[in-house]
Amino acid sequence: MTDRPTLDILQLTVTLRGGRKLLRDVSLKVQPGEVRALVGESGAGKSMIGKAVLGILPPNIKPTEGEILLDTHHLNAMTPVTRRRTVSKIASLIPQDPLTALNPVRKIGPQIVDPLIHIHGWSRDKARERARELLDRVQIRNTDRVLQSYPHELSGGMRQRVLIASAFAPSPRLIVADEPTTALDVTVQKQILRLIRELQQETGTAVLFVTHDMGVVAKISQRVSVLFAGRVMEDAATEDVFRNPQHPYTEALIAATPSYSDLNRSFSPVPPALIADLHAKIAAEEAAS
Amino acid sequence: MFARTLLFRLSTALVTLFGVAVVVFVLVRVAPGNPIAMMLPPGATEEDIARLTALYGFDKSLPEQFVIWLGGVLQGDFGTSITLRQPVDQLVLSRLPATLELSVMALFIALALGGAVAVIGARRRGTGTELGLDLGSAAVLSIPDFLWGLLFVLLFGVLWPVLSISGRIDPRIEFEFATRFYVVEGILRGRFDVVGSTLAHMLMPAMALALPLAAMIAQVLKQNLKEVLRLDYTNLSRVHGFSETAVILRDALQNAALPTLTLVGVQFTFLIGGTVIVERLFAYEGLGNMAIDAVINRDLPLIQGIVLVFAVLFIAINLAVDLSYALLNPRLRNG
Ligand SMILES: Nc1ncnc2c1ncn2[C@@H]1O[C@H](COP(=O)(O)OP(=O)(O)OP(=O)(O)O)[C@@H](O)[C@H]1O
Ligand SMILES: [Mg+2]
Repeated sequence: MTDRPTLDILQLTVTLRGGRKLLRDVSLKVQPGEVRALVGESGAGKSMIGKAVLGILPPNIKPTEGEILLDTHHLNAMTPVTRRRTVSKIASLIPQDPLTALNPVRKIGPQIVDPLIHIHGWSRDKARERARELLDRVQIRNTDRVLQSYPHELSGGMRQRVLIASAFAPSPRLIVADEPTTALDVTVQKQILRLIRELQQETGTAVLFVTHDMGVVAKISQRVSVLFAGRVMEDAATEDVFRNPQHPYTEALIAATPSYSDLNRSFSPVPPALIADLHAKIAAEEAAS
Repeated sequence: MFARTLLFRLSTALVTLFGVAVVVFVLVRVAPGNPIAMMLPPGATEEDIARLTALYGFDKSLPEQFVIWLGGVLQGDFGTSITLRQPVDQLVLSRLPATLELSVMALFIALALGGAVAVIGARRRGTGTELGLDLGSAAVLSIPDFLWGLLFVLLFGVLWPVLSISGRIDPRIEFEFATRFYVVEGILRGRFDVVGSTLAHMLMPAMALALPLAAMIAQVLKQNLKEVLRLDYTNLSRVHGFSETAVILRDALQNAALPTLTLVGVQFTFLIGGTVIVERLFAYEGLGNMAIDAVINRDLPLIQGIVLVFAVLFIAINLAVDLSYALLNPRLRNG
């Protein structure tokens, strides 16, 4: 076991067609077994980082500079086909909205099983076995009935459990969880969050956990990257960030969180004056460079 | 639940048919032109005309005529064609298969062509290929079916006569048809010379009918595909290592086809309407061609029969669209 990171992003710049940079010089590491939280206001570029890693950027957005190393594979240097194959074997995604993350016209069973066959070349029986195992693990009773269901026949919480099971099923080394609880009821949010944490600890999977909730950050992560306007403002151990934030934006984020343990509140904004201030500063820097 | 929907649909269908029957019945009678006078030779006397008018019942009042006609229809008697002097139902049924085969072939061509262009456009979204296909389909769409027909007649009938542009089958082929479905029967009886010749005769008129619909399908389906391709379940499939083409075919196509289906249904009825002129252009012996003769000759019973058959067809197509919608959409399947 070396201590090479599972994910190593080096000075990544991602550019919208027309030249606008959605991410600028972003660097972050996720060590094996570690949960790294990615926080920031809406539009900061959190999802963009996950998408760049997984190779699902929209066609009009391209990584233009920097490196992404996934388990030492240089993703940006690969052909699309190799990249796709490599990523599918190493990484998974837990998406934000369970309503649009399952294909409405296909049954749940094939939606979990087919990818396993495709990724690992398993037999259908083996893939089915694994799907059942994971559905049990995420506390879905009636496994057989759920496998036979269409997405609309399941509740939002159930669907998110299915998606978590599906994300862990291929035994990935990295999971990108993009605000996996934001679209859910408050009570369900807590269960889902606990479930992800338990599974993460059991399997030792590294997780890049996107959220804008500092309470969730405190609960789940060992390290945090704070993102603002496509740049990393702060990168530190979670404890240190809460004890001694280095950046005024981070400080404001924490101040806007009533209590770390309170997951019920939704995003309450950082003072607009501070945000405007930061944007102005960034604009000035850009003009200077 | 399902039975009730079906019952509702059938009763609305009957009301629609009745409405169509009334409207056509009145329209053809208030339109200028006396059918009896047109069928008699120039020297005919007033008495001759009066005798024939009475024979066909045209001397009675409109409501009376309608009741008599409807009574006949309900018993399966659609009247006799004035010009062809044969029962209307026999005439219509002898031509209907030709029009059905032509329309279905046109529909298949439109689906295949439009579907392929939509998939390629979605696959190459954001590139020059997409733009080119968009411009191409907009251009194709701006030309109506009968102009395509004329163009094909000029191109393949006059300038470069490689395909037959007239009739339904090569008259030299010897074959005793038991039905009027030449293609279907040819296939069932293993006579592929018959099938080949019929298809070759159908190709140009079918293309003329299909092109505008294909262009419309290409545009709408591609737009729907692009919307679906932004959804997270397609992203998940990409993360699972499926190629973009596989994502389109496995995940996006069925979902994008659903909202396209209604449009295809409506447009297919327009396509069938288009057979009237296109069949004429290609001297194709179908119902539409017969309809034009019937109108020219003021053959009232025949016009009524043909219009009723078209109305039944349109209703059947709408029903089929609803059924296939339910079939493709699990949310409606047990509703
Ligand atoms: N398809 C797109 N085309 C153009 N710009 C986009 C596109 N998707 C996102 N952006 C822009 O990229 C920036 C970063 O978006 P991103 O989705 O990563 O934000 P986020 O931090 O995940 O926010 P949220 O909390 O709302 O999910 C935003 O300014 C957004 O407007
Ligand atoms: Mg996001």
